[in-house]
Amino acid sequence: MNIDGLDPVIHGPARLRIMVTLATLPEGDDLSFSRLQDLLSLTPGNLITHLRKLEDAGYVTTVRTGAGVTARTSVSLTRDGRAALARYTAVLRQLLDGAASQLPGSP
Amino acid sequence: MKDGADEETGMDLQQASAIMQETGDRARRALVVRRPVLLAVWGAAWMVSDGVIWLSVRGQRPYDGPTPAALLTLTMVIAAAAVFTVIYAGRAGSGVGGLSVLQRRILLLSYLGGYVALFLLEAAIDHAGASRAVLGVYGAAAPILLVALIIAASGAVFLDWSLFGLGLWLLAVAAGSGFAGPVTVWAVSALAGGGALLVMAVIGLRWNRS
Repeated sequence: MNIDGLDPVIHGPARLRIMVTLATLPEGDDLSFSRLQDLLSLTPGNLITHLRKLEDAGYVTTVRTGAGVTARTSVSLTRDGRAALARYTAVLRQLLDGAASQLPGSP
Repeated sequence: MKDGADEETGMDLQQASAIMQETGDRARRALVVRRPVLLAVWGAAWMVSDGVIWLSVRGQRPYDGPTPAALLTLTMVIAAAAVFTVIYAGRAGSGVGGLSVLQRRILLLSYLGGYVALFLLEAAIDHAGASRAVLGVYGAAAPILLVALIIAASGAVFLDWSLFGLGLWLLAVAAGSGFAGPVTVWAVSALAGGGALLVMAVIGLRWNRS
């Protein structure tokens, strides 16, 4: 099936789940690394790898605050990231509609 | 999946769509405080507590005020609703930071500060020589006014017309209920105040399902 037009940075199971989870929060909110990891059931190393890729694309930001036991890393979706996910969703919908219309028996 | 590996390939369109749906549903269940749930809990608490007070005062001629047992019931019901809210919102808000958390804290402080001010004002009215009947009307109607104003203002903060509408309704209830007198004001508060929250909760739950 043709996936042209879908943002390759987002189009991967783990990164798509990260983006969708962060997009659930209102703009201006962030999520701790540990809660995100817990929600997605990813290993820390795996999550870091995918977050780095999304951060390089400018879709998420990670901020580390505090030190020692009070250290907290928070992750949030950037405005560009939110827009990129909206574009991804629109393109995915178009492609799915196109695929459905090509099925035998469809009008 | 190995640590650090980037095996993000081979996902087709249907899989992507299913992942979005499933992840979105799961994240909303885990992270979002569902307003209808809180409206249902507080609507029921309001209806039960003011309903119990009405039952304790309905035969009084002249009005003498709620019985200690009714006041204890009110305290326990409100405390139970508060504990539920803290646990429910705390679970959803665990690990979440940012603007919405700040908004919720300011709202909570507004309620707490408002209730302290209401109690102090009631003490001042009592000290000034107000009758039991006046204190009864105040005790039932003033909290509605506080809740109404905060809910109506929340409608502006969250740009939510349904909240604003609920706030306006409660303002009308607060203003009108006092005319029912010190006994019936509790029944009006239970039904038109707590009942309104329950109606909004049902509408919200049905809206979410559809």
